[in-house]
Amino acid sequence: MTAPDPDRLTDLGKRLDELQTKQADRAKRPPPSQSGIAFRFATEMVAGLIVGGGLGWGIDWLFGHFGFHTKPVFLILFFVLGATAGIRNVVRAAGEINAEIARKRSSGDEETGS
Amino acid sequence: MNLNPMEQFAVKPIFGLSQPLLHIGSHPIFFTNQALLLVIVALASALFLSLAVKPNRLVPTRAQSMAELSYEFVANMIHSATGEDGLKFFPFVFTLFIFVLCSNFFGMIPGSFTVTSQIAVTFALAALVIGLVIVTGFMKHGFGFLKLFVPHAPWYLLILLIPIEVISFLTRPISLSVRLFANMLAGHTMLAVFGGFVVALGSAGGILSVLSIAPMLLIVAIMLLELLVAFLQAYVFAILTCIYLNEALHLHDHH
Repeated sequence: MTAPDPDRLTDLGKRLDELQTKQADRAKRPPPSQSGIAFRFATEMVAGLIVGGGLGWGIDWLFGHFGFHTKPVFLILFFVLGATAGIRNVVRAAGEINAEIARKRSSGDEETGS
Repeated sequence: MNLNPMEQFAVKPIFGLSQPLLHIGSHPIFFTNQALLLVIVALASALFLSLAVKPNRLVPTRAQSMAELSYEFVANMIHSATGEDGLKFFPFVFTLFIFVLCSNFFGMIPGSFTVTSQIAVTFALAALVIGLVIVTGFMKHGFGFLKLFVPHAPWYLLILLIPIEVISFLTRPISLSVRLFANMLAGHTMLAVFGGFVVALGSAGGILSVLSIAPMLLIVAIMLLELLVAFLQAYVFAILTCIYLNEALHLHDHH
């Protein structure tokens, strides 16, 4: 048996690396399921409302503690802000999911093309 | 027979230890089924990962390749989400991932207890993550970290946008913990409900007893789905940790 050709060995190594990264890209991200997406949006929205309402309630409580009767001004204000933040989070999450799907589609096209 | 599907989530003292172990202040501390499962999960994962790996083995055993695969999986995940300098958080993210994964899988054993179905556990984990993100951000950027809350907009809009951004940041620990907790809670409740159907149909007698095979088959399918969810939720928890760390490390660079 002759000694292996170093050029061919490095070539083989390079090809293996390429295949492995391609494989890893495909296997690494489990696909987002429909219910998973819906659930994610729901939690983002609800979390926004909880945090906004909680913050407003806390600020009202704090002011009430010092003798300013602001109740329920900050609760209402921060509840609306929280709802806005929740919608912003949902939009951001939707953008991320869209980007992921687009990336998956483009890598899928490469596969069928080669 | 108790058919309440929420029964399985009750935290109660075990081994007949109805006396509290110790008192912190005036608050009694019990050794509960939750504490037992937490100890089992921590010990099992630590023992498995340290015993499975031997450095001088040329051909890895099955256990070793499992440990190495999980190591590589998490390392790749951190690298793709945060880049090179995120890798110094590898020990943290890896521990978090393995802990959540093992908790979810140990919860799948019939008769055991799912620690991640308790909001106290998941929220503690999420608070830890957000605490680390905040500390990292301030250590790396000083007060420049606060630029994270200032989007590109005219100043009169910033008055409105900055509170929204701050609230949006504060929702992260909530959505992170609620997602894991609600997924585990929903899955295990569903299993218990269908389990109740089997018992009720089986004890009804006649033709109905034969029909009890249908929910039984459904449980098998749901069990498989729950195994997927158990892994998926651990993955989601870890990847979101990476994404939040990335923001703390690089602020708005990635846009």
